[in-house]
Amino acid sequence: MGISKLLVANRGEIAARVLRTARARGLATAVLRHSSEQEGPAHLIADEVVTIEGPTPVAAYLDIPQIVEAAQRIGADAVHPGYGFLSENAGFVAVLDKAGVTFVGPTSEVIDLMGDKVRARAFVEERGFPVAPSAIEDDDPASFVERARAVGYPLLIKPSAGGGGKGMRVVPEGGALESEIETARREGERYFGDGRLFVERYIERPRHIEVQVMGDGQGNVVHFWERECSIQRRFQKIIEETPSPALTPEQRGEICETAAGIARAVNYRGAGTVEFIYAQNGAFYFLEMNTRLQVEHPVTEMVTGFDLVAEQLRIAAGEGLSAAQADIPQNGHSIELRICAEDAREDFRPAIGDILLLDEPRGEGVRVDSGILDGGEVTTDFDAMLSKLIVHGPDRAEAIARARQAVQNYVILGLTTNTGYLDAILAHPDFASGDVSTGFLAEQADTLTAPTEDVSDMLLAVAALSDERLVDEVMQVPQMHRKMGGWRN
Amino acid sequence: MRRIFQINGEETECWLSHDGNRFILNTPDGAHPCRLDPAGAPGGHVLRTRGRVQDLRLAVGPDATFVHMNGRTYAIGRVDPAERLAGRDGGAADDRIVAPMPGTVVSVNAKPGDHVREGQPLLDIESMKLETSLTAPRDGVVAEIPFAAGDSFGLKATLALLAPEED
Repeated sequence: MGISKLLVANRGEIAARVLRTARARGLATAVLRHSSEQEGPAHLIADEVVTIEGPTPVAAYLDIPQIVEAAQRIGADAVHPGYGFLSENAGFVAVLDKAGVTFVGPTSEVIDLMGDKVRARAFVEERGFPVAPSAIEDDDPASFVERARAVGYPLLIKPSAGGGGKGMRVVPEGGALESEIETARREGERYFGDGRLFVERYIERPRHIEVQVMGDGQGNVVHFWERECSIQRRFQKIIEETPSPALTPEQRGEICETAAGIARAVNYRGAGTVEFIYAQNGAFYFLEMNTRLQVEHPVTEMVTGFDLVAEQLRIAAGEGLSAAQADIPQNGHSIELRICAEDAREDFRPAIGDILLLDEPRGEGVRVDSGILDGGEVTTDFDAMLSKLIVHGPDRAEAIARARQAVQNYVILGLTTNTGYLDAILAHPDFASGDVSTGFLAEQADTLTAPTEDVSDMLLAVAALSDERLVDEVMQVPQMHRKMGGWRN
Repeated sequence: MRRIFQINGEETECWLSHDGNRFILNTPDGAHPCRLDPAGAPGGHVLRTRGRVQDLRLAVGPDATFVHMNGRTYAIGRVDPAERLAGRDGGAADDRIVAPMPGTVVSVNAKPGDHVREGQPLLDIESMKLETSLTAPRDGVVAEIPFAAGDSFGLKATLALLAPEED
């Protein structure tokens, strides 16, 4: 069942990252590229680039028949889906199975189960793992509002088919539950084509802690410890770290074992992540299981020393796990920053533009997983994440210091990015002490976007002196006039 | 010629001159000798002004100049005052809600003739899978909303127009 040629059905930084490991393992490699898409790092690494077509670039990356046909045409015997796009699409896996192409990931049945948040939750609860108090619309749609109210405020409304924070709404005590339900339903229909909802008790000042698991599909499951992902804007993570500063060793053991237990219960194959809501009192509840490699997997690699993509490829090739639980350490501390084209001062509005100058940070304990090239163009076709900056240090304080230095030295000129905002988060005393929750960025919005030192004088001078038209005009003025200064006025 | 530079939403009108030895930046708060020399790394420069010597990285885009210095990145918008005057066609800057990026209209929450308050949502747009609400920049009356839900628009398209303010 070995693998000889891998098609990466993704793009950007994750395609590049997967391709690097695949090449290191001696596989022939191929990657997709939409006909309108600019060259990215992945296209330079892959042996082969397969052009795909579609009405929009995103539609092309979601086009199952076209991608499966491409895999067969180029003789790929395995497909790695990365994250997003088709990575959690049970139908895609089923079609690949039929075509005799190995999917690097879990079975379509497990994807299907975990992809339905309501079924997944029920599955986990039935097996005795902790879940938050909730009400599920599908159980009895007529009484949904009533049952939702009975769960107790504050409530969190979620689309059953959801993910990535899309369509989620918090309803406080006395809030307009009915109208929030209708808004969430519309968003669910728009984002996922599915308006079914469920509500659960909203945990105040919760932390988001997740556990990396890996299974061989033969009953063996190990965990690669936890990741803390509480630093989120609009329910989307932008800083992740491991270990979590919130957990005692006992709690860490308990949450990691719970995650491994859930993975074992579905006889999990490949890399997965079990996400938990962690309450201030130390209680934790199953949130969902992501049946793919996560964006933030590099922090786990930095502290464990394992290449998770290599593990995925081993398992897909039938070679099993390379390590037993006791062989998986958690050394030092790692932090990941998601570098995004967005304006934190304008409610994280996505930014576009040409990358006029790119200079990535380097140094001890610094890793950059990038999806952009100098001279490239950032458009609205895809997600706003440009790259990930990952650092490792012997302890948390040192990791924060390295992350600050690295993000300050990350030069991306030509469009607005969140590098300054990320640095402001790292510099915040509550982040340093680890006293954060998923509401941290919203609570501290003003502090984190406060103007820094006023350097307008210098910026004006730079802008004027680098303005060719201004400079040319001055240089054309006869010497005598020049001496008069602003002669036109 | 003069330029309007925009830094953090603040506009400053400047022009350059030269005294035979050095450039002079003329700003509303005075004239300051300054000097910018290329140095080292790609985009690397050294700026000398007002007694300071500053290393920086620099890239000049079509509408903005980007500067990285002391660990921070800055964007300085550049506007030619003459072009701004020509493009005005009678409307003041705060009459117009301009697309901050290309995208699609999700919903329109006001119609021509509506009285709106500053901050009131006029339309929701979606771009890069993110939804943003565009709000009225001031109290006023909606004159025009040229797009409907589902329409796509380009960067800097006028998405809503308020009736001119009466003095």
